Amino acid sequence: MLLFIAWRNIWRNPVRSLLTIAALGGGVVMVILYAAFLEGMTRQMVQYATEISTGQMQLHRQSFVDDQDLYATLPWHYIERIERRLPEVVAAPRLYAAGLASAGDNSSGVMIKAIDPLRERRVTKMLDHLRSGEARFDAVSSNEGVERRYNVVIGTQMARNMHLNIGDELVLITQAADGSIGNALFRIGGVLRPVEPNFDRMGVLMSIEAYQQLMYLEEGFHELALWTQDLTALEQPQQPQQHVASLLTELHAEQPLDELGGAAMVRNWRQLTPAIADMLELSKAMVIIVGFIIVGLASLGMLNTMLMAVHERTHEFGILLSIGMSRWWLLLMVLFESLFLALISAVIGSIAGTFVARYFEQYGIDFSGSMPDGYDWGGIVFEPVMRGHFEPQHLLSSSLLMITIAMLASLIPSWRTVRMKPAEVLR
Amino acid sequence: MKVRFRILVSTMVMLMGISAYSPAQAIEINVLMEHIDRLWRGDTSQVTMSMTVKTRRYQRSMKMEAWSRGKEHSLIIIREPIKDRGIATLKVEENIWNYLPKINRVTKVPASMMSGSWMGSHFTNDDLVKESTFIDDFDSVISFEGERDGVAIYEVTSTPKPDAAVVWGKVVMTIHQDNFAPLHAYYYDEEGIQVRVMRFDQIREVDGRAIPMRMTLIPEDKPGELTEVLYEEVAFGITLREDFFSLQNLKQRR
Repeated sequence: MLLFIAWRNIWRNPVRSLLTIAALGGGVVMVILYAAFLEGMTRQMVQYATEISTGQMQLHRQSFVDDQDLYATLPWHYIERIERRLPEVVAAPRLYAAGLASAGDNSSGVMIKAIDPLRERRVTKMLDHLRSGEARFDAVSSNEGVERRYNVVIGTQMARNMHLNIGDELVLITQAADGSIGNALFRIGGVLRPVEPNFDRMGVLMSIEAYQQLMYLEEGFHELALWTQDLTALEQPQQPQQHVASLLTELHAEQPLDELGGAAMVRNWRQLTPAIADMLELSKAMVIIVGFIIVGLASLGMLNTMLMAVHERTHEFGILLSIGMSRWWLLLMVLFESLFLALISAVIGSIAGTFVARYFEQYGIDFSGSMPDGYDWGGIVFEPVMRGHFEPQHLLSSSLLMITIAMLASLIPSWRTVRMKPAEVLR
Repeated sequence: MKVRFRILVSTMVMLMGISAYSPAQAIEINVLMEHIDRLWRGDTSQVTMSMTVKTRRYQRSMKMEAWSRGKEHSLIIIREPIKDRGIATLKVEENIWNYLPKINRVTKVPASMMSGSWMGSHFTNDDLVKESTFIDDFDSVISFEGERDGVAIYEVTSTPKPDAAVVWGKVVMTIHQDNFAPLHAYYYDEEGIQVRVMRFDQIREVDGRAIPMRMTLIPEDKPGELTEVLYEEVAFGITLREDFFSLQNLKQRR
């Protein structure tokens, strides 16, 4: 009965009620959208952090981590041992070096990164992330037909800064492991889309074979990126990490590494990219804070509506009270009215929010006009198209958030009905 | 190599400056430094030298030939080992180019690489290029005069002037009183921590000047490592035209 009266009361002033519903529903849509975009960004971040370049775990020597010590290599047989012990793990070795790249009149410091293309494709999607050309690392004969040149793949920013196109010649000079001056000609085979700002600006990707001919460093590799087929390892990387760590201890006992390079260590992606792990935590807190602000503002509309509703019905309430209606029933009735408003808003907001979020999940917001290469934040380059990621759970949490705040706001007008003195209001 | 060369030249100039001054009188530091800086310019040299780099990981020696004209121009060519033979470095004013015979290309060293190691030694590209002079960029005082370890020396402490483009916080040099050959140079960073020592020995008379033929650079942060430069032949006052230090010549001199 009370519910029915409350329902009828809402529609005594349909315009006002609809406006309130629009405000609250709009708030819900905003919260859902905000959550969707943040979710989309963090997902892209985690994806970039793991699938595209980092992998789930990485192996290094201590002094390579500390100061990129060229000689801090891990022996080649580690790869085989790790894959044999942990069959669900695939591994991709990498080597690094600093160098000087030169093309025509342009020269610039570069970071050389050597990979095994076959293994790399099994571990990360880095090589699929091409902007132009192909991810090829084979050697081709130059025009003069004398010397073979290896193909390399470079970052977008570097290609632009040095005016390099596919097929162009690139000179690389570096200090080889034996102290001599490593120098060779290369051919630009492809340009990689931005993933990581440093690599984009100064990265040169080549095959391990090409690297060894340039650097005279054949003892081992600097980095081993690992990927487990077991997807829970992304959320819970500690367990496979411990397996690898104990294997490393065994391997070290069998054949100790030289002291200068320090111990071998394995780190998971959260440790490798702490900025991203922090961002994930931060973004969860941000949804709640921003949600409170948006819904809080929308609830002021609710507060206003109900205050007006109570105010204009002061006389009516007075009569109800004097013919013996309980104050608490009245309070309950006002609260029900608010609840109905909030529920309708929640339903409408959720439906509209789902549509809008789905739309942005599909199409995203395109910034490629102003930022064709995307933007970087926390050391990760984002695509210029900002995409949401809709999660049904967001509907529930934002609706609940809205209903809670709206009901808190409606406590003020309903409290006024309780405080009402029938004798005074009827006069 | 350029670095060595420049250090060689600076050493020479310093020595020449000192010898131009009458050693019988008390040394007046400003006059001394002015002499050094003035004599630095317009001087030419040709040297043959060997450089030994010793690091924790490897030790290697190179033989090279170097020419210089004033403080602006120098050219260094590696003669040995075979693997690096013909690699040449040309310095003209602030710029450094390398010529690489294996790939027959000339490359310019960009500003961002200037603090990088030069030819794998403990010298940096900057060591070659920096044009600092004691009179323009440093305030020098004789901080000690007398015997130390049985050798009569002057100790000159040079601190960079406020606006000088110098990477050191101060440079302390000890110089023999009798022949004005330098003995040690201590380089301090801006925090006042000693970062490297240059040791000079094997003094020989060349053109009436006492010149240390061996310089050893010892970085403080890498124990056990050093770069040693040994001059085998030194000639001053040879005729070198400015176009000797050109990109064309860089390719042809190999």
